[in-house]
Amino acid sequence: MAKFVVTTNAVTLNGTDISGNCARAELVINAAEVDTTDFGSAGWTEVIGGLKSGTVSLDFHSDFGSGAVSELFQDLIGTIGTVTLIAGNGTAASATTPQYTAEVLVNSFTPVAGAVGDLSTFSVSFPTTGAVSYATA
Amino acid sequence: MASITNIRNGIVTNLGTISGLRASAEVPDNPSPPIAIVNLDSVEYDGAFNNGLTTYSFQVTLIVGRAAERTMQRKLDAYSDVTGSQSVKVAIESDKTLSGEVYDLRVERSSSIGSITIQDQTYLAAEFTVTVYA
Repeated sequence: MAKFVVTTNAVTLNGTDISGNCARAELVINAAEVDTTDFGSAGWTEVIGGLKSGTVSLDFHSDFGSGAVSELFQDLIGTIGTVTLIAGNGTAASATTPQYTAEVLVNSFTPVAGAVGDLSTFSVSFPTTGAVSYATA
Repeated sequence: MASITNIRNGIVTNLGTISGLRASAEVPDNPSPPIAIVNLDSVEYDGAFNNGLTTYSFQVTLIVGRAAERTMQRKLDAYSDVTGSQSVKVAIESDKTLSGEVYDLRVERSSSIGSITIQDQTYLAAEFTVTVYA
C-alpha cells in the first residue's frame, strides 16, 4: 500500500450505499484521559486511557429522491443507524482497505442548506454508540 | 454516467427552443449569425466518492450579428435577458437535467459582452457560463 489520494471511499448507511452523494467522510475514535497524577508523579501529570468514544462526520450532496440520502436521514432522526466506512479507496474490506462499522445516534440533520447558486449540501456529525468494529476481510 | 458529448448536445437542444437562433455543438468553419456555439471549458472530477459528482463548465459563445447593424444591440439585450422567449438563460435551463443526462445545471453569468472579429468582420457577441452537475 502506498500513499493515496482519497477518491472512492465507500460509505453505507443501514446497508444503503450512499458513496455517490458523499464528499467527505471522517471517523474519529477517542479514549478519555483519566488523570492518575499523585505525589509520586515527580512533578509530571500522569494519565491512563478511560472510556472510548467515537464520532462519524460526513459531508453530503442533498438528494430528495425516493430512497436517496436526504430521505434516508429524514427517517432516521432520533434513532440508531449503522454506518460502514471502507478506507483506502476500497469497495470491500481488505488489509489495505479496512472497513469500520459503527452504530451511530442520528441526532441532527440539516435538510435545507445553501445559498443561491450553490450546490445543495449538508454535513452531519454523529456520536457512536458501542464499539467501533474494524475488519480487514 | 453522463457523457460530455451528450451534455453538449443537450445544451444545443435546449438552445434550439429560441426561435431564429442556430446552435452548434462544434465550432463551425464559417459561423452564420445568430449562432450559439457550445464549448467545454473545464471539468472538475471527484466531487463525491465513487465518481458520484463531476462538475462541468461550458462556455456558450453567442454571436449575434454584425456590430454595425442597428438591431443587433436589441437582439443581444433579448438574448441576455433573464426572462423572455429569446433569453439564453431561460432556454438552457428549460430542461435542467438534459433529459435525465445530468443532475442539474445553471447559467451562471453572461460576460465578454461586446464585439469580436471573425474573418475581418466585427460581430456583436457574448459568452454565457453554464455549470453542469453530473
